[in-house]
Amino acid sequence: MEILRYKSDVWGQRILEGASWDLIWVFAAAAVVFIVFHALYTHRNLKRRQNDE
Amino acid sequence: MSDVQDSSAAQVLRHRLAERLFHWLMAVCMLVLLLTGFLPVLGVNFAWVDPHWIAGVILTVLVLFHVVRALFFLSLSNIWIRWREFTGSVSAVTAEALGKSNRNRKIGKYSVGQKGFHHAVALVVLLAIVTGLVMMVGIDGPFWERNPFIISESSRGLVFVLHGFAGLISITMVMVHVYFAMRPEKMYMTRSMIRGWISREEFEQNHDPELWQE
Repeated sequence: MEILRYKSDVWGQRILEGASWDLIWVFAAAAVVFIVFHALYTHRNLKRRQNDE
Repeated sequence: MSDVQDSSAAQVLRHRLAERLFHWLMAVCMLVLLLTGFLPVLGVNFAWVDPHWIAGVILTVLVLFHVVRALFFLSLSNIWIRWREFTGSVSAVTAEALGKSNRNRKIGKYSVGQKGFHHAVALVVLLAIVTGLVMMVGIDGPFWERNPFIISESSRGLVFVLHGFAGLISITMVMVHVYFAMRPEKMYMTRSMIRGWISREEFEQNHDPELWQE
């Protein structure tokens, strides 16, 4: 997977073009992983709190 | 409705109308920017450039409005992360994770996590705005002609990289923000972003008046 996109300028030199769009799914997946982890963590703490009471 | 110190009032004002309007207009701008920025990349082709830069200009004006409001009309201490507050929050979360404590922690107007999220969004949005304004010089607009030579080709590449990463990080941030806004224990805060206030009971259950300064 590429992190950056490159192109050739008029002299044929390789120059930066932008961020790689392959990363869209990486950033979306990062959010999903965080959300699932946080939801499970919060659920576990809630259960524990209910048991303590 | 009252400020936090008036314990006789049934409702506590959390967000004034100006802040609520700013929040929801910013949300619309962010969605337009993300959709016009990423849908063409995903193969949905349409004339995206004009709505993209127009939403970017509106977002810039909104952010300037918010900066002025924050500096002159709102209490910056509510959004500032104090060192003691930060260390206290870290130890409380650690204790909770290790099962040593399960107490509901009272926060000021915002939690440390909310403040950290605000600062991260501020950085990313400012980066997107600055790079976006530089990129706008490269396209024709209603009040200006394009000047692609204002920066070198390699600098333009760097600007595109930074703008792209600001957009990519925004995907994660918007998803996480919507998740927290929809969590049951945060729903009263989301509701306050529509109605402006929280109930006295919600305030007393979740907030410390000493930490919430208006």
